[in-house]
Amino acid sequence: MSPAPRVQRICERLIRAACRRLPEDIRAERCREWAAELPAILDDQSIRPGLRRAVRALTYSAGIAWSTRQLSRAGGGARPVRTSQWRNGAIRVRPSDVAVRATVGVAIWLLLIFLLISLGSAFPHLPGWLLMLGLGLAAGFDALCLADIARAGQVRYLPKWAWALICLAQTPLGGIIYLSIGRVGRARPVPSGSGPPGSAQRP
Amino acid sequence: MKLTGPLERVLRVLLADPSASHYGYDLMKAAKLPSGTLYPMLARLQQEGLVDSEWEPQRQDAAGRPPRKYYRLTAEGARVARVELAQAPVPARRARQGTAQPAPGGTQ
Repeated sequence: MSPAPRVQRICERLIRAACRRLPEDIRAERCREWAAELPAILDDQSIRPGLRRAVRALTYSAGIAWSTRQLSRAGGGARPVRTSQWRNGAIRVRPSDVAVRATVGVAIWLLLIFLLISLGSAFPHLPGWLLMLGLGLAAGFDALCLADIARAGQVRYLPKWAWALICLAQTPLGGIIYLSIGRVGRARPVPSGSGPPGSAQRP
Repeated sequence: MKLTGPLERVLRVLLADPSASHYGYDLMKAAKLPSGTLYPMLARLQQEGLVDSEWEPQRQDAAGRPPRKYYRLTAEGARVARVELAQAPVPARRARQGTAQPAPGGTQ
């Protein structure tokens, strides 16, 4: 009946994810400390109704995520674990590559629109099976993109969740943009001289 | 140490009873601070040796509740906090609502 155990699990997962930012020597202890506060929040009878307690626990966990960001910065010595590689120049692509990919992506999209329009004029009264086929294709394409995002070690420019959202929100176009720009795929690494200054000397 | 509003509130709560230990959520409620402000601040205070922390011993009767970490002012921390709060300008409104006002220079 009460949502508390589920909320607690969600919050614990958030906290664990946030703790991954911390240097290894304090990670486990911090994680334990913060997770131990959750029962206190979820059992706090001064906050009513239970839904407000759940919201409180979630904002608490979000605050923990913020804390770990501050702590991992203040820590100085230990680098945060999750650095995205492309920012450091490892798999940057040339800007011209991005332009070509974007153009190809938009071209595919236009082709698709053209195809849809011509199909629409060929069948003035859209038969049900065609509609189902279109929806199925769209869903399949979305699934393909999401699976690709989930499998990818990393994606470019945006965090993974943002790409997933874009793919879902703009069904054909979002996925195409992701595949043409956001996907790391077979990008050739830029030779290490031409990265941004300082990228090569990173310890 | 720069005395910011949130820091002042935390110090007031801790100084209300310098020997009392607080766990994180307790402090959040008493000082009316979000976790994202409180924990970095506690970490900094601990680094400066003003605050001490310890794990509560595992109790058998606690119905499976995991042990908490408790924070407390060190002797040095209590001294510094009194000096800082004595120099603080007019106490913030919200701090006065939240906790009893400790007398500067306190009687302990």
